[in-house]
Amino acid sequence: MSIVENIKIAFSSIFVHKMRSILTMIGIIIGVSSVIFIVALGQGGTEKLKSLIVGSGNTVSLSYSPSEEEMKENPDALWSPFTEDDIRSIETIPEISKIVTSSDEFGNVRYRENTIESSISGINQTYIEVNELNVSSGRNLLPSDFLGGGRAAVISSGLSKELFEKEEPLGKIIYVQSQPFEVVGVLEKPTGLLASFSSNEVYVPWKTWRTITGNNKISSITIQAENTEKLQEAGKKAAQLLNQIHGTEEAYQVTNMEEIAEGIGQITSIMTLIIGCIAGVSLLVGGIGVMNIMLVSITERTREIGTRMALGATRGQILFQFLVEAMTLTLIGGTIGILFGAGVAYLVSSIIGFPIIVSLPIVLIGLLFSMFIGIIFGILPANKASNLDPIEALRYE
Amino acid sequence: MIQLASIKKSYSLGNEDVLVLNGIDLKINRGEFISIMGPSGSGKSTLMNIIGFLDRPTEGTYFLNGKEVLQYKEHELAKIRNRAIGFVFQQFNLLPRLNALKNVELPMIYAGVKKKEREERAKEALEKVGLGDRMLHLPNELSGGQKQRVAIARAIVNKPDLILADEPTGALDTKTSEQIMELFTMLNKEDGTTVIVVTHEEEVASYANRLILLRDGYIVQDIDQENRGEIL
Ligand SMILES: Nc1ncnc2c1ncn2[C@@H]1O[C@H](COP(=O)(O)OP(=O)(O)O)[C@@H](O)[C@H]1O
Ligand SMILES: [Mg+2]
Repeated sequence: MSIVENIKIAFSSIFVHKMRSILTMIGIIIGVSSVIFIVALGQGGTEKLKSLIVGSGNTVSLSYSPSEEEMKENPDALWSPFTEDDIRSIETIPEISKIVTSSDEFGNVRYRENTIESSISGINQTYIEVNELNVSSGRNLLPSDFLGGGRAAVISSGLSKELFEKEEPLGKIIYVQSQPFEVVGVLEKPTGLLASFSSNEVYVPWKTWRTITGNNKISSITIQAENTEKLQEAGKKAAQLLNQIHGTEEAYQVTNMEEIAEGIGQITSIMTLIIGCIAGVSLLVGGIGVMNIMLVSITERTREIGTRMALGATRGQILFQFLVEAMTLTLIGGTIGILFGAGVAYLVSSIIGFPIIVSLPIVLIGLLFSMFIGIIFGILPANKASNLDPIEALRYE
Repeated sequence: MIQLASIKKSYSLGNEDVLVLNGIDLKINRGEFISIMGPSGSGKSTLMNIIGFLDRPTEGTYFLNGKEVLQYKEHELAKIRNRAIGFVFQQFNLLPRLNALKNVELPMIYAGVKKKEREERAKEALEKVGLGDRMLHLPNELSGGQKQRVAIARAIVNKPDLILADEPTGALDTKTSEQIMELFTMLNKEDGTTVIVVTHEEEVASYANRLILLRDGYIVQDIDQENRGEIL
């Protein structure tokens, strides 16, 4: 007896009791759809977070986290961990393709009578490329600004709003730490997850920053390499070099942005796991429902089973018939669950603008899993059916 | 074709064994038309089930075409049921959700016959029992006699050597019973199929050419139909 015949039998007996079948499937539908929904949300969110944090990729930051002794020995280093000499040394590492530096401080920015506290960053030119700093109006800082130590500033959209309210910011003179700067550009509003963080930022060329603040500190160094392997190598060498220069044990370290992304990914995975458990429970309950209805169905069809046996069905064929029926039931439930879960996920994503990914593997896993539940919870009823005594089954009223 | 020797069947009820068949010796030749009669509870159905491999005796030997079949495995017996035997029941036992044609196709599905051939042969069988115009009807759209015809078509569709009918007319009126018995007679005469019919009714039994009388698990009479008048 072919599998096709069995599937036909399964469909016909499922369709005879439509209501009952649908009620039976509800557990499976809820279980599978919640798995699909949550995983779609989780994967979408993780990807989005990663792309936001890692940016254009292949970058690592160098960080300074000294031991207690090192801290006592050199308390200033915490505030200004890197020097210009450091950068010159790091530049000699062949694996590094780009070095991004920034010097950050909080200070006052004033336009006419309006004074706002803002972060003031002195950056080098590669900072703009690597961090994808794009202006929505005006222009970006140009090589000439960096070379000449010009008084040009690019401000964040958040600061622009607070400082100028409805006025046009471009070309206006603002006072950064009491020094006059011309606003040449306003940055794009951050999108997506970071949209709600409207922060106040001013970016000026690093040389100019040094002049107005009167110090040489460099707050952060990020290096970029052509590919991941080179990047790892470069990061290691840079940290080693810095520790050597500063006579520290391992105060200088590599902070891989991707690690942070992974960390966030882990949080999402934990969430996924918890909700996965909930889904698991509903699948278990659904599976037991399937088992129950299969037992009912087999009792109702005792005579049919006896007849089939009399007509030459082997016990194996009877077992297979009811196993296929249970699997068909859970597969239909699983398919509905996948469609429903994906539908809800797309709906939610279009309403709250959260990215989702319904990946093929998760759909396949959903299908396989519902089939698996059919087998697990179908085996007992099917076994019962196949072990019926044909004579008693034929006599059954 | 069939040779039963010292067939016993007992059921254990509580701690007591109830003997239902008490040593049956029976030889059935190809092409015979046999009726089995006897009081209720005498073991007729039990004997039929044993002959049809639905049940195994507690003791005894069973030769089918010279082969000792009782040692066969379950799935081998299922195959014999499928190919060599056609069952007809008192309650018809048609699958209620399948139409006449599909019901008749069932044994061929288990025999692994391809769909096209299945349909052709099922149609043929239904035409043979006079139901060529009711093939797509569901069982509950058919009369008792028609249902039993479908069941007979189903029993013969795999061209069995033996038809076992346990009270096939038990649920039918006299006129319909006659038609059904005529059908069995035709299958026996024209196709040479061996037929065994269990019945309570003299009328029905008279269609056969051999009569076996069971009582308390014994064969008390086994006679040719010609001599019947004298014995009963
Ligand atoms: N599964 C069983 N367990 C115990 N006793 C049974 C069983 N099946 C049949 N019997 C007994 O065997 C006897 C013969 O039954 P059966 O062959 O059906 O008789 P008949 O068909 O001649 O009326 C009856 O007394 C019945 O109660
Ligand atoms: Mg009986």
